[in-house]
Amino acid sequence: MKLHRVFGLLLKHYYTTTNKADRLFDMFYWPAIDLFVWGFASVYISQISDYNLLSMILGGIILWIFVWRGSQDIAVYMLEDFWSKNLYHLFSSPVKLSEHLLSVILFAFFRSIISGVAMGVLAYIMYSFNILSIPIAVAGISVFLLSLFGWIMGLFVAGLILRYGQRIQVLGWSTVWVVQPFSCVFYPLSALPAWAKSIAVWLPTTYVFENMRAALAGSAVDYGVYFLSFLVSLALLGVMLIFVYRSFLRARKTGLLARGD
Amino acid sequence: MNAIEVRNLSKSFGDVKAVDNISFSVKKGEFFGLLGPNGAGKTTTINMLTGLLEKDSGEISILGKNPDEDWEYVKNRMNVSTAYFPISDVLTVRQALNVYSRIFGVKDCKRKISELLLKFELTHLQNRRIILLSSGERTRVAIAKGLLNDPEVLFLDECTVGLDPDIAEKTRTLMREYQKETGSTIFFTSHYMFEVEMLCGRIGFMMNGKLVKVDTSQNLKKIIRKTNVEMVVKEGKAGLLRDFLLEEDVDVMFMEDNRVAFEVASSGDRIYKLMNKIFARGFKLSDLHIKRPTLDDIFITLARRK
Repeated sequence: MKLHRVFGLLLKHYYTTTNKADRLFDMFYWPAIDLFVWGFASVYISQISDYNLLSMILGGIILWIFVWRGSQDIAVYMLEDFWSKNLYHLFSSPVKLSEHLLSVILFAFFRSIISGVAMGVLAYIMYSFNILSIPIAVAGISVFLLSLFGWIMGLFVAGLILRYGQRIQVLGWSTVWVVQPFSCVFYPLSALPAWAKSIAVWLPTTYVFENMRAALAGSAVDYGVYFLSFLVSLALLGVMLIFVYRSFLRARKTGLLARGD
Repeated sequence: MNAIEVRNLSKSFGDVKAVDNISFSVKKGEFFGLLGPNGAGKTTTINMLTGLLEKDSGEISILGKNPDEDWEYVKNRMNVSTAYFPISDVLTVRQALNVYSRIFGVKDCKRKISELLLKFELTHLQNRRIILLSSGERTRVAIAKGLLNDPEVLFLDECTVGLDPDIAEKTRTLMREYQKETGSTIFFTSHYMFEVEMLCGRIGFMMNGKLVKVDTSQNLKKIIRKTNVEMVVKEGKAGLLRDFLLEEDVDVMFMEDNRVAFEVASSGDRIYKLMNKIFARGFKLSDLHIKRPTLDDIFITLARRK
């Protein structure tokens, strides 16, 4: 792996982002809309009942950005190379698949940090919610584990795109939302029906959001589940890296890499 | 040492044999042309040589290395330009060249990019997005990108398609100069026979995935053994000329008014001797047209034979 090539790819992602309104839009627009809708709904619920959901909901929205961006950005920046037929030039150059993947993962992480910080500031301005009320260790571990899970989802979609091309590009935006209902972003695991719970317990994200709510409520945080989530994520990451690599080899064999369709 | 060595290379897509057991070599510093109709297998061959497509069987060696094993060595020393894929739809010209100069690890990339922009008359377009350029301008960007790393082996896939004649000529001149200055190997595909003939030392003809012939353009022209001659005869002596040609065992193609057309063997000095005899007999001409076989003729002949 050569750093100058990773830097070149990061530069390409940066130029793509600054030149294309879509890529700037999805960093701020949708998270902000979420923040407005769910924030207003939570404020209303707290006005008509004794439940104060605001911090739980806003914390969930802001932390979910790390899964969302991680997943969607890896898929979309891979698709950008398909759309502009850039795969031909990239992979006839010395660029390795590992360098390309590292660049999209790093770039997705930068974008999620910017998006997360912007939403944190907006939540403070709009609702006086301070994201730093989550203990720093919990916040740090959460960001890391959620980003890791986002990358896993993104790599899965990237592998599919390398196999089937642009015809499945819709998965780039939609796949991550399949896991959101089971990740207990806005409600506890206990709120799920039995069938959904049986799925949720396998997701590393579930425990991150459970712990976030515990931390915000001033309850004890279970650090053991973080470790377990990390191990599960690591195993999934390994599987997804193998899947993407095999998809890449297949794209070289079928000619998809050269055609970029 | 050969810059490119290909042995028994094959690639199929389903039942279609896109490249069928081809072998050839390109010497270091050679300008090699690959010709063939659409679907002949030229681009599939280039894609395998540049590592974009996995071969089914056969061996490839570039600069003495197996690209599958020493891809980094090989890919740092080669580059590819094509008219078919713009470098990027989203990036500006300078941004795209900046990205690829970083990828290739070009030293002093600012200076290198400015040089190439100037050379390909792109300086005034450097801040324009590539998608907004004309196809000719995009092709010039693609060629500029192809020269960023001063490649030892440069693949040019139909790179003059869509260029204005003057820019195409300028591009050909630049390619020739670049090749002479650096001693690089250039692997060139084109639909334009004249430019292949003009630039390439040797030419390979591909048909239906097979490499049917590899030779110099001079030798390839020997495939067509006849030269067409057409003359306009003065003083109403066309009929007499036709009779004379028949006596000389020449194939007369047609005679119409004062115009006589015939075929004569291209090899040796047959055509000059015949012309001398015609003048010695006192025939006077008002027009003469000798059409030597071109690569187009060879292309058509080979395609028909196939």
